[in-house]
Amino acid sequence: MRGGKLSLWFAALVLAGTAVAQEPLKIGAINPYSGPLALYGDEMARGYQLAVNLRNSKGGVLGRKIELVRGDATNPQQAIAAVEQLATRDNVEIFVGTYVSAIANAGSDAALRHNKLWWDTNALAAELTERKLPNFVRSGPNGQHFAEMSVRAVVELVAPALGKKPNQVSVALEHEDSIYGKTIAEVQKARLERSGVKVAAVGSHNFKATDLTDVVLRTRRANADVWVQTGYVPDTNLLLKTTREQGYKPGVIITVGTGDTFETLDALGAEYLEGVLVVSYPRPDISEKYAPGAAAYLEAYRKAYNRDPIAPQSLAAYGGLLLMFDAVQAAGSTDSGKVRAAAAATDKPLGSYPTGFGVKFDDKFQNMRAQPVVIQWQGGKQVTVFPVEARREGAALRNLPRK
Amino acid sequence: MDALLHVLVVGILLGGIYAVVSLGLNLIFGVIRVVNFAHGELVMLGMYGAFLAYSTLGLDPYSSILLVVPALFLFGLVIQRLVIEPLQAESMMQMFATFALLTILQNVVLAITRGEGYSVPTRLAAAGVQLGEIRITATRLIILVAVTAIAVLLHLFLQRTLLGKSIRAVTQDRQAARLMGINVERTFMVTFGIGAALAGLAGALIAPIYTLAPGIGGNFILAAFAVVVLGGLGSVAGAYFGGIIVGVVEAFAGYYIDPELKQAIWFLIFLAVLIVRPTGLFGQVGAEEIGFREQT
Repeated sequence: MRGGKLSLWFAALVLAGTAVAQEPLKIGAINPYSGPLALYGDEMARGYQLAVNLRNSKGGVLGRKIELVRGDATNPQQAIAAVEQLATRDNVEIFVGTYVSAIANAGSDAALRHNKLWWDTNALAAELTERKLPNFVRSGPNGQHFAEMSVRAVVELVAPALGKKPNQVSVALEHEDSIYGKTIAEVQKARLERSGVKVAAVGSHNFKATDLTDVVLRTRRANADVWVQTGYVPDTNLLLKTTREQGYKPGVIITVGTGDTFETLDALGAEYLEGVLVVSYPRPDISEKYAPGAAAYLEAYRKAYNRDPIAPQSLAAYGGLLLMFDAVQAAGSTDSGKVRAAAAATDKPLGSYPTGFGVKFDDKFQNMRAQPVVIQWQGGKQVTVFPVEARREGAALRNLPRK
Repeated sequence: MDALLHVLVVGILLGGIYAVVSLGLNLIFGVIRVVNFAHGELVMLGMYGAFLAYSTLGLDPYSSILLVVPALFLFGLVIQRLVIEPLQAESMMQMFATFALLTILQNVVLAITRGEGYSVPTRLAAAGVQLGEIRITATRLIILVAVTAIAVLLHLFLQRTLLGKSIRAVTQDRQAARLMGINVERTFMVTFGIGAALAGLAGALIAPIYTLAPGIGGNFILAAFAVVVLGGLGSVAGAYFGGIIVGVVEAFAGYYIDPELKQAIWFLIFLAVLIVRPTGLFGQVGAEEIGFREQT
């Protein structure tokens, strides 16, 4: 009788155990889904959802189905509240986010208080990994990677196209004057000068400025071969419009981080943009060999949302989450320490994921094999042109120097 | 020398933008004595109005003025009647109410557009006049010509017409105006309507230059307040020349000193003018007492 009771208890325990094991693995996606930043927040969540769908179709992670739970955060305070709510009410086990660095900063800190992993796929601020939080991993590139890619573009792509050696090329740098633009411009200046490129001018402006004619006139005065601009959408558009209005025709324009969406296409038109280069997140029009799975992503996106991706942030989110699933599977657990250990032990070459990323984390858990790409506007389309191995078959530079 | 002239032209054209944004604000400020924080949002509505007219009817932003301006005039009447007038006795509350309006308008547009940056194309985008090195684009020249015409018309309207005279009478002394048989409430409504219509006009005129965002009004409002205080409260000439002055100062500071510092520089000038001439360059004496003088 007593033994029977025990075995009943045991059976109940086992049943409870399997019930836990079959519970879905909940992932909290913290992003701005309302307010002025919602456009890309939603876009990232689409990327996450597609990654979840793909992984679930292959049986999920750790034998469990994955479920995405959204947490709306338009500012750091809301990020903390959203993490608290998702961690306590929804039993979320891992947090992922976000392209807004300030939200990633506060959110990851809040996740640490619950001892949960924060896997960042899209935030750019370099200082996020400098904090060395024990629950933080960034699988995507940071601002420095964007700055470095813009320098590589000048040295390896633009200089040959102009028929010049790097030390014969001069560059004017323009950046918006918050910490984002400043940090990128500092890295650009140092790296360009190290490569022997002449930095003819460094200018800055407020991204809310109502007029940028002064910036255009000053840059024209510097008379550089290449103009590299770092800003947000409104000021980048205004700068390009004012450049056109003033009849200033720099041979090469490179925008960093923005200028690669329909918002810029609408503002300036395909004809003017022809030949403009943009340092951007990897996009679906990338070589399948360089980024295996990018085509499948595009197909899934079109099927699910009935349109083309709004911005490349969703592919970065998609690829970043796939990378995380592999780390969680390798760790055999969602525990942040174990996942980080598994991630640190992983070594995959560039070209392992649909973004073209590989995996190799530094001691601050920044993925060192996450690189942006350079696209060129060609006939109103964004065509990946650099690194050369990322080009699709037949893709080539056009209209450079711009006519 | 060429650069000097070039920067001067750039500054005057920019001044046209500031003047057109400030005219309506100054009218409302000067007459109803309400600090309308939502003025930038009315300009923003004008811009989105131009976008709506383009995307649904295919209209050029300059044609859309025919729809946008009356719409904003009506909207102004409604705001005055439903928001400002009930709070007539409490000027502080009126100010807060316009702040609430700012937030509401921004968020409504945000909810509708999801923050996508729209652009309003015009056939005149590439047109312009070339004077040696200096290029004057049509979009900016049109604004300067338009704001000059509006300033003259508004001045004539206020000086010559009966309604204009009643607006001036109310500006000088509400109580006396009421005793003379002027319907103060109706005058206020019309004034707010005209102010809002001018904001809508400004929005439609500047729409081709910028990328539309729900918060874009905020980029102009700081400059507009500086223009209004610098030029003089309640003075059409003040808004016009104040705008030009701020534009020219900004262009010179941006080109010769640093684009990062240009705002700081025109605010220094703004402070200096306030200290020397608290009524502003063209302002009427007593106008600076807004919010302090008893109004009934």
